[in-house]
Parts: sequence; structure tokens; C-alpha cells
Amino acid sequence: MAAFGSLSQILAFSFSILATILILVGVHRNDLRFIQGGRRALFSLAFFTTSASVALAYLFVTNDFRVGYVASYSDRALPIFYKITAFWAGQKGSLLLWAWVLSIFTIIVAYNTRDELENRTTPYIYLVLSGTLTFFLYLLVVVTSPFSLLPMAPPDGQGLNPMLQNPGMIFHPPTLFLGYIGFTIPFAYAIAALLTGELDESWLKKTRRWNVLSWVFLSIGIILGGQWAYVELGWGGYWAWDPVENASFIPWLVATAFIHSAIIQERRNIMKVWNMFLIVLTYTLCLFGTYIVRSGILQSVHDFGATGLGGYFLLFMVTVFLGSIYLIAESYEELRSEQDLESYLSREATFLLNNVIFLALAFSTLFGTVFPLISEAFTGNKITVSQPYFNQVNTPIFLLLLFVTGICPLIGWRKASTDNLKKNFLLPTLTTLAGATLLLIFGVRKVYPLISFSLSIFVIATIAIEFWRGTRARKRITGEPTYLAFPNLIWKMRRRYGGFIAHLGVVIIFIGITGSSAFKVEEQATLARGQSMEVGAYTLRYDEMKRYKLYNRDIYAAQLAVFKNGSPRGTISAEKRFYSKADQATTEVSILSTPLEDLYVTMPAYSKNYDVTLKVSVNPLMMWLWIGGFIMLAGGVISIVPGRSRGVTS
Amino acid sequence: MGKLKSRTIAAVLIVGIAVSYLMYQGVSDTGVYYRTITEVMADNGEFTDRNIRLSGKVVEGSIEYNQRDLALSFTLCDLEDETKTMAAIYNGVVPDAFKDGVEVILEGFYIRDKNTFSAVTLLAKCPSKYVSEDSST
Repeated sequence: MAAFGSLSQILAFSFSILATILILVGVHRNDLRFIQGGRRALFSLAFFTTSASVALAYLFVTNDFRVGYVASYSDRALPIFYKITAFWAGQKGSLLLWAWVLSIFTIIVAYNTRDELENRTTPYIYLVLSGTLTFFLYLLVVVTSPFSLLPMAPPDGQGLNPMLQNPGMIFHPPTLFLGYIGFTIPFAYAIAALLTGELDESWLKKTRRWNVLSWVFLSIGIILGGQWAYVELGWGGYWAWDPVENASFIPWLVATAFIHSAIIQERRNIMKVWNMFLIVLTYTLCLFGTYIVRSGILQSVHDFGATGLGGYFLLFMVTVFLGSIYLIAESYEELRSEQDLESYLSREATFLLNNVIFLALAFSTLFGTVFPLISEAFTGNKITVSQPYFNQVNTPIFLLLLFVTGICPLIGWRKASTDNLKKNFLLPTLTTLAGATLLLIFGVRKVYPLISFSLSIFVIATIAIEFWRGTRARKRITGEPTYLAFPNLIWKMRRRYGGFIAHLGVVIIFIGITGSSAFKVEEQATLARGQSMEVGAYTLRYDEMKRYKLYNRDIYAAQLAVFKNGSPRGTISAEKRFYSKADQATTEVSILSTPLEDLYVTMPAYSKNYDVTLKVSVNPLMMWLWIGGFIMLAGGVISIVPGRSRGVTS
Repeated sequence: MGKLKSRTIAAVLIVGIAVSYLMYQGVSDTGVYYRTITEVMADNGEFTDRNIRLSGKVVEGSIEYNQRDLALSFTLCDLEDETKTMAAIYNGVVPDAFKDGVEVILEGFYIRDKNTFSAVTLLAKCPSKYVSEDSST
């Protein structure tokens, strides 16, 4: 089977080269037969990446430890679900997954463009995709094959890192990948537009769904990563501004800016250069993220083992970036807009501000992430910045972003009149002032949380008014009752209202982040059986230590009775697990989650006579971070459901 | 057109300057020297009372951990030169991956006259057998 997998990826590699050559010849000779041939080669390529992937999954399921990659990431005792997902637990499998997904995306594009072969841009789109596939397949076939064999099969594999044996962690990498890979498609369309000089907004229109979908996957990946850190790592947080986390967040920020500015180009035909630049930057940063993770150039808690792939990615990334910038510069005159902003009091201007803020966030995060390299290069001193830097620098920028999210829908397109502004701002402003007063009365005295919560109220108010007005107008026009008019409104104009739903989700995320970071209470204590500890309004009583075996692990579980303000709230089990293959224990996290707050318990240590040391925190409003994330994703998905939508018109 | 365009540039510049200022402040308030053990030991006084970040390896058999008070002490050696060692103390929860022979990243202060590093944060990398070539990015 290993030979079959190996052969499959070699064939896939050959077809990627063949496709590239055929399309090049086709473009050069202006001969559709060659382009058609190249297109067919792309389908063959996808067939062979698929069979290579099936082969690798099969090797994992059948415990074929002669294959070094399988021996490194699996063992006999591993549950079957994790055996299959160990596919992408390491770098080699991740690369194969990348190539496979990109080849599937490629044939989706090839299928969708089946009647557009005569378009001048189509072959160039294929060319960018087949070129990228050639790069990944080259790495797989020549540099680091997942099918390479060990001289002798070990009796058992080394097992999968216990920390990766968690559903969130299993889906975190592939969803991030789907996002990263997805941006290859709009990038390919943009490059094709630049190469052919067909620079109108059609590339943006055709790739809007790819953009938003890639953004959705990138978001899911980031949220799952945060959730995994929260429920698995046990330090009580979900985001540490570690280089590896930033590596996925920076492209997300730029992608978000791009999705917004694409709307302006579609509506007003301005910002063409800017949009080209943003998609190139997004795609480059996706590669940069991969480079950071693979090169080991930055110190991270996540240890990926630098494997020499960094250089390849660096080369690929620099080529992509410089090449694209060159193409943009070449087409600069044609790309320049005939039109310009008409006024600062216009929705376009708020979108522009939004873009500037997103890029500022991306830049400050990127700067902080690579600061050790910068400082060493310029001063010879390696200086690092960590969480405090990002919190200090990014918090005010995030708050400005929240403010812009609120004012954007209140200002009309082109040029808003002063009367119009007064009318639109009155109600949200009053609501916000009332809300801020209440917050002050209830004891929110810290500056940032007060601003953050007040702005959240402001944005929610503007969104609520937007929905209310839309529903009222629809009722008047169609005569539908409210319970029909409201969902129909969203459905009929899902591009617009999907966007608002995504904004609502973002605000709720802000509320969760503010609550859990600014009002967290944390205690630590060592208890003998029968003793209690107090954290905020909670009391925890240690009743007994249970010991048992489950699958491939031994579990020690301290049973804790939980009371809030004296009334019982059930029990929590704080665990340590010993996995058979790992020579270290893992501390499990136990959470009692309510809408108001999470009770978060870990047992870092216990003694021979089962006295336990507990670390307990109360994280207010934590649940809302995940709920907000879900709403944001739902909004994104709603906005790209196919079919007739009255889209961007307001 | 000209007027609006120049005002747009001015607005972007203002945001740019504000953000640069925030970043400058951020770096000077929170920047931490990243040094090796050899460098810290060799230097006279430059690092006294200064927050530094240090990476090193836990010397086999040196870990003492009082689980009741969560007081940890161990010996740390340079990643490149294992003869250069210093003591390290830390109070708090020890990460699962922390044990003999692993690579750790510490942040804290160096106490020169005791050749001891007082760590405020302790991060442990996964041991090599378990190198989690985690595919996340």
C-alpha cells in the first residue's frame, strides 16, 4: 500500500507538470486543444492525490508501522477515529492533505469554468493553480514523502501526542488549511486578471463565495484552536499571542479587510489597486503562516521540529509576493480608478477606515511576532515581546474597530446628509449612554471594559434598528406578519443581513473576551479529603479520588462538590490522565459552564495520600465567546448561500 | 478630487502615526531581552533587575518540586554548552511537559550573587520523542 501511495503521488506530480506545460503551450499558441488537455490533466491529478490520501489513511488504519510516518504518529491502542485523523498530525501528512484539498478545489474551478475555456483569463487561472500544485507535489515526492519506509518495522508505533487526542484539535488544522488553500482560488483569479489585463470587477464577483468561504474556514480554525487551548491546555486562557497563533490571525485580519473592500469595488468601482494588493497580501500571509510554523525561526511553545521545509516556503512566498507586486505595478495605470470618494461622510469612507484599522492590527501583530528577528538584525539584541505587548497595542485599535462597526450602517453611501445622520445616530447614542450609566452603577469602573461594553451596546443597537426597520418596511410592502417578515427579510437580502449577523457575532465575541479577561478571579489551594476552597461566589468541596482505566489511559479523578452562594451546583471531576505511550501525565480541564460564567478547574498535582492541589478560576461571560463565534460563522455562511439575493443594495 | 485624495492620505498618515506610536510604546514597555544562559552568566550587571527571557535545558535529576506549596527548583544548563549551569526557582503550576531533559523557556530575573534565575513564567517544550509536529499553523 505504501508503494501504491508513493506511485500515486508521483503520478499526481507528473500530471501537475504536464498540465502546466500543456496550458503554457495552449496560451502561447492560442490553441484550445492544449488548454483542454491541460484541464483534463488537472482532473487526473486530483484522482491521484485522492488515491494517495486514501492509501495513507489505509496505512494508518491497518497499523502499517513500516511506514515511518505512521509509526511516528499512531500505535495499536489508538482509537480508530484518531488513527484516521493522525493523517495530518505531522508535517508530511499535512502536506499531502494540502495538495489533496487544493487539487479538489482546482477541479471544482475547472468544472465551473467548463463553458468559459475561450475566456482569456481561464487558462491563466488553471496555470496558477497547476503551478501551486506542482510546488506542493514536488515537496511531497522529492523532499518529504509520507510513504517513505523504515529499514525495519517497529513492533508498535510511538502513538499520538495525548494533547492532540481531542476532537477540537483534530478539526483545527484541516479547517485552517481549508481557509489557507481556499484563498489560492481568488488569488489565481486576481493573477489571471492582471496577466490578461481584464481588470474589471468580474474576478471579484466570481470569487466572492470562495473568499467568504475561505474566511469562514479560517475563522473556524482559529476558534477551534482557541477552544482547544481553553479546554485542553489548562492555563485558563484561549489565546496567548504566540507566534503560531498569530500566524493564522494575521491573514485572517487582512482577509477580513479584503472582504469589506471588495464590496466597495463592486458597488462603486473604486479601490481596484487596493483589492489586488489585499488578495496578494492575504495569500502571501497564508504562506507566511505556514513558513513560520515550518521553519522554527521563531520561538514558540508549540514545538513543530524545524524540518528544513521553511526554506522552500520562504522561496515560494517571496516569489509569489514579488511577482504579484510586479504585475500590479505593471497594470497600475489601468487599475487606477476614474472615480474617487465623494465625501468623508459616506459608507465608503467608513469601509476605508475599517480597512486601515484591520491592516493596522495585522501590521502591529506581525511586527510583534517577528520583533525578535527585527531587533536582532538592527541592534544585535534579541528582544521578544509577548502577551502584554499585544494587549497594550491591539486593545485600543480593536475598540476603534468596534466603534467603526457601529457607525458604518448609520452612514449612507456616497454622501450622507446631516439630517439623515442626526436621525440615524440619535437612538443608538441614547441607548449607549443609558447602557453605560447602568454599567457604571453596577460597578464596571475599569476604563477599557467600560468602553468595550458601551461600544458593544452601541453596535448591537445599530444592528437591532437595522433589522427592525427592514422588517417594518417589509411588513408594509408585503403585508406579512412579523414572524414571517423577519426571516424573509434576512433570506431575501442575505448578503446584506448575513453581514449584519456576522457583525453581531463579532460584538458578542468582544463581550466574551472583555468579560473573561477583565473580570477573571483565580484561586489555588491544596485540599485533603473533606476540605473546601472558595473562589468568587463558588465553594468547592473535595470528596474523593476515583481511579479507573479507559481505552489507552489511566485516570485519576478528584470528585468535587460545587456550591454557588451555598446552593449545590453539581459535581466536577478534576482529572489527571496517564496515557500508555506517554511518559508524562496530562492534566485535564473540567468546566462548569453557565451563560454568566465558567467555573474552570484543573488539578496540577496530587500527593501520595491523595491530597490534591487545585487551580480554580471563574471566567465571566466565557460562553459568549463561543456563541458569538458561532453567530459570526452563521452570518458568513448565510451571506453566500447561492440563489437570487438582492445582495448589496440597501 | 485632489483635495479629497490628499485628505485621505492625511487621514491614513494620522492612523499610521498613532499606531506606530502605540507599537513603539508597546515594545519599550513590554520588550524582554532574550538570552542564552552563557550570555547571562558572562555579563556583568547588564541584566541585574531586568526582566529577561531565557531558554535552556533541565538537568537530569535536578528537579525538586514541593507539590503542597507548588515550589519548584531545578538546575538549568545552556542548550549548546551543558557545562554552563544555573539554579532556577519557580512558584506555581508546572506544565505537564516539564521534566528531566526537556527544553524550557523561562521569563524572570537573574540573581547574580546566587547564580539563580527566579522565573515568573515557565514554558516547557514537548520532549523530542513526542515532538508534536502539530500541523496547525
